[in-house]
Amino acid sequence: MNLKTIVGIGVYVAVLIAASIWVGQQAYGWLPPQASAESMLIDDLFSLFSAIGTFILLGITGLVLYTVFTQSVSRFDTSDGPHMEGNVKLEIFWTAVPLLLVFFLAAYSYQTYQQMAVRGPMDLVHLHHMPGTTPTAYAADLEPEPVEEVEVYAKQWAWSFRYPDTGVVSADLHLPVNKRVRLLMTADDVIHGFYVPAFRLKQDILPKRTTEFEFTPVREGIYRLNDSQFSGTYFAIMTANVVVESPDSYRQWLARAAAQPAVPAENPAYSEYTNKRLKRFGGWKTIAPAPPPLVNALAER
Amino acid sequence: MDSSISTEKPDVAIAPHAAHAHEEDHAGNSMFGFIIFLLSESVIFLSFFAGYILVKTTTPNWLPPGVSGLEVSKPAINTVVLVASSFVAYFAERALKKENLLVFRLLWLLTMAMGAYFLVGQAIEWSELEFGFSDGVFGGLFYLLTGFHGLHVLTGILLMGIMLFKSFVPNNYAGGHTGVDATSLFWHFVDVIWIILFILIYIWQ
Amino acid sequence: MTNVPVEGIAIPEVAHPEPQNNWRKYFSFSTDHKVIGIQYLVTSFVFFLIGGLLSMVIRAELITPQADLIDRTLYNSMFTMHGTIMIFLWIFPSLVGLANYLVPLMIGARDMAFPRLNAAAFWMVPVFGILLMTSYFLPAGTAQAGWWSYPPVSTQNPTDSVITGEFVWILAVAISGVSSIMGAVNFVTTIVRMRAPGMTFFRMPVYVWTVFSAQIIQLAALPALTAGAIMLLFDVAAGTAFFNPDKGGNPVLFQHFFWFYSHPAVYVMVLPIFGVFSEIFPVYSRKPLFGYRVVAVSSLLITTVSVLVWVHHMYASGTPGWMRMLFMATTMLVAVPTGIKVFAWVATIWKGKLRLNTPMLFCLGALIMFVFAGITGVMLASVPIDIHVNNTYFVVGHFHYIVYGTITMGMFAAIYHWFPKMTGRMYYEGLGKLHFALAFIGVNLNFFPMHPLGLQGMLRRVSSYEPEYAFWNVVASIGAFLLGMSTIPFILNMVGAWVQGKPAPDNPWRAIGLEWLVSSPPPVENFEELPVVVSGPYGYGKSDPLVENAAALKEG
Repeated sequence: MNLKTIVGIGVYVAVLIAASIWVGQQAYGWLPPQASAESMLIDDLFSLFSAIGTFILLGITGLVLYTVFTQSVSRFDTSDGPHMEGNVKLEIFWTAVPLLLVFFLAAYSYQTYQQMAVRGPMDLVHLHHMPGTTPTAYAADLEPEPVEEVEVYAKQWAWSFRYPDTGVVSADLHLPVNKRVRLLMTADDVIHGFYVPAFRLKQDILPKRTTEFEFTPVREGIYRLNDSQFSGTYFAIMTANVVVESPDSYRQWLARAAAQPAVPAENPAYSEYTNKRLKRFGGWKTIAPAPPPLVNALAER
Repeated sequence: MDSSISTEKPDVAIAPHAAHAHEEDHAGNSMFGFIIFLLSESVIFLSFFAGYILVKTTTPNWLPPGVSGLEVSKPAINTVVLVASSFVAYFAERALKKENLLVFRLLWLLTMAMGAYFLVGQAIEWSELEFGFSDGVFGGLFYLLTGFHGLHVLTGILLMGIMLFKSFVPNNYAGGHTGVDATSLFWHFVDVIWIILFILIYIWQ
Repeated sequence: MTNVPVEGIAIPEVAHPEPQNNWRKYFSFSTDHKVIGIQYLVTSFVFFLIGGLLSMVIRAELITPQADLIDRTLYNSMFTMHGTIMIFLWIFPSLVGLANYLVPLMIGARDMAFPRLNAAAFWMVPVFGILLMTSYFLPAGTAQAGWWSYPPVSTQNPTDSVITGEFVWILAVAISGVSSIMGAVNFVTTIVRMRAPGMTFFRMPVYVWTVFSAQIIQLAALPALTAGAIMLLFDVAAGTAFFNPDKGGNPVLFQHFFWFYSHPAVYVMVLPIFGVFSEIFPVYSRKPLFGYRVVAVSSLLITTVSVLVWVHHMYASGTPGWMRMLFMATTMLVAVPTGIKVFAWVATIWKGKLRLNTPMLFCLGALIMFVFAGITGVMLASVPIDIHVNNTYFVVGHFHYIVYGTITMGMFAAIYHWFPKMTGRMYYEGLGKLHFALAFIGVNLNFFPMHPLGLQGMLRRVSSYEPEYAFWNVVASIGAFLLGMSTIPFILNMVGAWVQGKPAPDNPWRAIGLEWLVSSPPPVENFEELPVVVSGPYGYGKSDPLVENAAALKEG
């Protein structure tokens, strides 16, 4: 290997590293605002993956383009390239490096996952013994923290949220900022998914079971909750607002809502189903939407 | 056709033999293909078994209401008959290898009869059960597993029938008897599956 | 040991009864693997066009945020059928078709091990394809639960009829499964037992290795889907409770059955394309495949790991933490044997003498897009990232870079590369390059925007979306229409060249391989005399003969 080659490789790697670091920084900008404590951890991880990915993608693309632009020959050239069947050292190198890299990435992801301490779905095996109270490996560190509990109900195609202390049922999910939240989620009919992009969190909700889910919102604002598991005809419009607010306004809202009588919530799926004018091209008979939930607090739109 | 193979290289020395094997050995191909087919088929059963174990260990109300369990003694007799039939089939196969067609036919017929006995026993058991196919996951899995296996037993009996019929065609088994070997293998397979199934469903209640 | 036995085994000289250009044979129950291969390829391409039209309707609906073009039920049917058709009626059968054509030729066999089984497996494809399409005429419409068909959505039935789109869908998938198993038994038997004299495992082209590995996956994993499909069918039609939570059933069980097969299925689809890359790069770089043995064996490694990764589709499904971690590790591990292949291809073209013909362009483009898809794939394997992007357009973008960017592009490369062999005609290079340019731009325009959309949280399978996602959706739709247009030069090229293209020589690319030693197209029995292989498959840059008896392979 002569000096020119070594300098060439050095410059190439330096450019790749610079580009990777830059993309790693940009990666944060591709994601929604960071509205939960968990989202920050995930974004850091994503940034790292993006940087490493950029290095690999640009590295390989660069080599391929370099080869294409320097090694192409005319179609009348009938010569062969050198007969290189392989290189054991090189092959060991490009087996070992990816192997170490994936172990590193897996370990790093594992660490992030533990820090998130998402109290995810419980072990299926234990599910029926004590719904809602199954301890997880992560629960221990969280015990001292006060937790806000909210019940989440999903059905085709509406969300509703019940606050067990006051009995308030709401069409929006109101949460106090900077406080750990535990959701007790159930579905009526099919599998739904709880997904707030700004929280970076997603959990399927199985019918006839309570699925527990924990996280901490850290940024005030109104975010969108989607159904993340395909649930049939009106899947796309099964959304709800998540209102993260200061503890004071959260308490005030709860008190106000408790004084309201329960009325049917507005429900886009139900109104689209009943409103024949919205009929578009084609289509078949569909499962009828469940009646809108009765709520004390209507959606704030 | 001018074949100009030199005999100098060692590679070529094996060539005629290999080429010969591959052109002629249709029976070997069939047997090989049948074995990998059976291996693949066993994955369906393995999937059902895995599903059965998973569901049984996680479902709170496993048995349908009013059902206390399955009666084991009659199916146990059935099991003994089916397992024994595998040995009979083995001796039938051996008789054929010794070109003793009469013994082969008798033993073969006995295997079929034992298989049929098993099927009839299954049918009687089904008719006496107080739960149906759509009674919970247990009902579904019970009928699915025993039914799917029963279908295989039936297939085995039909295959044996065809092989028996073929034995009456003169000189049919002169050039080997892949069909009988394959059917016999299939029968052992059906047997082994039943043993696992019996343990899962009847013993582990 | 004389040459007598060799003469003895030569096929008795039957005059070929059919003229070579008899188009009718392609509509008959032919047992010639080459005819069946082309039958598969053409049939699947027709379904590719149908699936493509459906995707353009989908992209037309998504060009605006509102659901304003078609009814939501019809939209749901569109993406369900698009996915089903593209997987079961385009990718699978086209790959089986290519393998059918090439494997016996490459290993020096006269046909597949079971020619009639082969033909029967093929004829199931149009049968279940048509069956699937008829569900558009059912009162309840087609299946609308996505190609995953997760219960309970898939078992819900708004009509009274038992014969629903879902019922037909399961039936079609089951027939497809039977056809695939028949094919897999045939391929594995053929590769293990029908190799020509001297064709040891480590003299087989990597393409044969990849087909072998892929077909083993079919045998080992497809039955799990069959089991799940049988149970789902009973849930739909007989009221059983396997997956019905109302009666104590477990819907997650279906997800295990489904993904136990359907993730390995991705490797069934992509492995043969790795094989195509491994064949084409050496030919057009004039260099041996770098690290042949390692590349060959890494296919089997992928096969092994592939049956241990399925839960990564279910991180959000109610899987316990330990499972998430275990399957994260196994899934990322797939990157290692895959990486070996990628580096080997790059090392193959490195310092080669590159000829940028259409097949080479498609392979180079597909290689870059595959690396991109691999990187997003490792991201998806990471549990925390997956929790965010699971079920979003990020996933859709990722796997379309695989299924179009890699597999379909690789398939086009293969079709161009072996077209002269299959038809005896040369394709038009200019049209081929136009096809590549349009397809490469189209794929990136169509599928790259899905990544930012997914990162921002746009979910897959939505028929309407929030206005903030509009920009990238418009770009993606334009890309989709461009991609649709890109098939026009391909069709013109193939039809035109087949009818009146320049006659092809036996070996237009000066490639090494048994298939290039016989005439274009090969005779019905492939080889006049069976080849006796004496060296490895990639002797570029050397002048060693591949076979002992090159002159005797051909007639005359």
